[in-house]
Amino acid sequence: MVKSYLRRAYSSFAAHVFDIPPRLMAFLFFLILLIIPLAGLDPYYLSIMIYANVLAIFAASWDLLVGRTGQISLGHAIFFGIGGYSTALLFKFFGLPTWVTIPIALLVGCSAAVLIGFPCLRVKGPYLALVTMAFPIILHSIVKWSPLNHIFGGEFGIRGLPAFFAFLPIRQQRIAEYYLTMIFLFVVSVIIYKVANSKTGIVFVSILDDEVASKACGINLTKYKLMSFVISGLFGTLAGCLQAHLLKVSNPPMFELTWSFAPIIVTFLGGIGTIYGPLVGAYIYYILDKYFLTIQLPKLCEYFGAALPREFEYAKLLIFTLIVLILVIKWPRGIARFTTDKLEDLEEARDLDERGPRIWKRYKRKEKK
Amino acid sequence: MIEEIIIFSTISGGVYALLALGFTLIYGVSGVVNLAHGSFYMLGAYMFYVFGTFLLKLPPVLALILAVVFVGIVSSILYRVTIHPVLGDEVGVMVVTVCLALIFQQLMLLVFGPPNVPVASLVKGSVIILDVTVTYARILALAVSILLFVSLWVFISKSKVGKAMRAVSQDREVAMLMGINTERLYMLAMAVSSMLAAIAGIFIAGSTTGVAGAWIWMHPLALSFSIVILGGLGSIKGSLIGGFIIGYAEQTVAIAAPEGGAIISVVPFTVMVLVLLLRPKGLFGKRIEMED
Repeated sequence: MVKSYLRRAYSSFAAHVFDIPPRLMAFLFFLILLIIPLAGLDPYYLSIMIYANVLAIFAASWDLLVGRTGQISLGHAIFFGIGGYSTALLFKFFGLPTWVTIPIALLVGCSAAVLIGFPCLRVKGPYLALVTMAFPIILHSIVKWSPLNHIFGGEFGIRGLPAFFAFLPIRQQRIAEYYLTMIFLFVVSVIIYKVANSKTGIVFVSILDDEVASKACGINLTKYKLMSFVISGLFGTLAGCLQAHLLKVSNPPMFELTWSFAPIIVTFLGGIGTIYGPLVGAYIYYILDKYFLTIQLPKLCEYFGAALPREFEYAKLLIFTLIVLILVIKWPRGIARFTTDKLEDLEEARDLDERGPRIWKRYKRKEKK
Repeated sequence: MIEEIIIFSTISGGVYALLALGFTLIYGVSGVVNLAHGSFYMLGAYMFYVFGTFLLKLPPVLALILAVVFVGIVSSILYRVTIHPVLGDEVGVMVVTVCLALIFQQLMLLVFGPPNVPVASLVKGSVIILDVTVTYARILALAVSILLFVSLWVFISKSKVGKAMRAVSQDREVAMLMGINTERLYMLAMAVSSMLAAIAGIFIAGSTTGVAGAWIWMHPLALSFSIVILGGLGSIKGSLIGGFIIGYAEQTVAIAAPEGGAIISVVPFTVMVLVLLLRPKGLFGKRIEMED
């Protein structure tokens, strides 16, 4: 009996995963990610992957809000910073352990999303984008303001946060952190995938496609926009908490524009409006940046007898922004989306696209009156 | 203290209005939310330094003109190459302009390095008005911004090109049917808008801090968009009044509050959010979609 049950489970799994190339790819991707620590990598490489996981969670939450619901947010760093600071403050003033502070921080993030969402949802389009951009800048100045130094720690932030697995030796600690972020990434992407493909997700896409039409269909716009805001804020906060405990510090740069723009760059690398795009983008970003440009390129230069100038540090971000610029102009659907389309039968791809949201296609762009 | 607040806020309000004018102009004409506006401010200050002291050692007025023209040319070329292909896609335009801003920041870091560069003030000396010492540079900044504001207003409302700009902002397709070359008009609007930003950059950097760094684009960008949202996107009158409101609010907090200088960047946004809660389209918002 057990055997037949297992066989049924396997066949349903095969039908749902192995027969659809993108899902097979995603499955293999996760499988590879799971066995990576067993290869005995240097802790440095593992930490690259850890931060890539955190950025992937953060970017996926941005993608749900912008790519699926069409609520342009240029200030997602607010959730990142709120996550980092609320877990840090709870630790600093109440001395709570990590597994208590993070859930409370998530609640704080949700309520912040509601608080920010209400004024934000009165405005739309470019107004919304610019207003959302303002909030992290406000908080950035507040946490740096010197009269509040005894609370937020000023310029240096709150240091000395507990690491996740402080009782393990450093190498095992990295591996444990890797698996922890991996599990979080997996859970978050499954939840976002489920939300995006549920009835609610379809409503989100309808808001993206045509707000007036969905309002005419009797959709409560405020409710669904706020829902998207809260889900997105929740996972953004989670990414902030993880980052704070991994770096053991919460500091003002968490509210900086860099953290608002990072998910945008990463999402456009992978492909906006998909759920897997940001994940792929985050990995591409970190591997290109921290592996090829930081380790391999200097080695290559040394091999040819030339030293990289010190200013090369600044050229890295330049290279990425140039790549994203070219992608947005020439190839607005991103790398991951392109690959999956190539993998599938073209006929089938068109079929899927008609059912699912194919958002970033030139010819569907709304002409401005 | 009251005199101080009034004088300094009038001066900064005028320059802020000039800064916001460029932002609102390009939005009003082409619908582009130009997040690289602060970068043109920064580029103006840097180019003034390059032409004035670093490379050519020209006299300040000549350097100013050269820098402003340079920024205008660069911005219109960039507009044609990068922004025009994604026109009509709001997210696309914002991402492209954000990328441009980051590219400028990194380029400046690459070329000039992280330390700030000095930006010379155009005129020296100061005068005492109502017991407050005001440098001539600040007065010049206010005068120039008022002059530019008035001339741009006249240009938009009276000249043929200005009329074409207003026509395009009302209805692009019909304007095209009337024989207006919208692409060239957009490039012109972009050039004018970035030149205004560059002038504001040279005057603000020269008269207040005297330095320019690779990160100075963020504050002016934030300022200009909060002013513009406060006044209403695409409205010239709105940017003038918004500029003065923000200028007064900012200087009041900077002078009156404890450690006010550090928290100064919160003020524009707080005012903006408060106004938006009451009027979601800003004070004088145009381009109102007839949806609500």
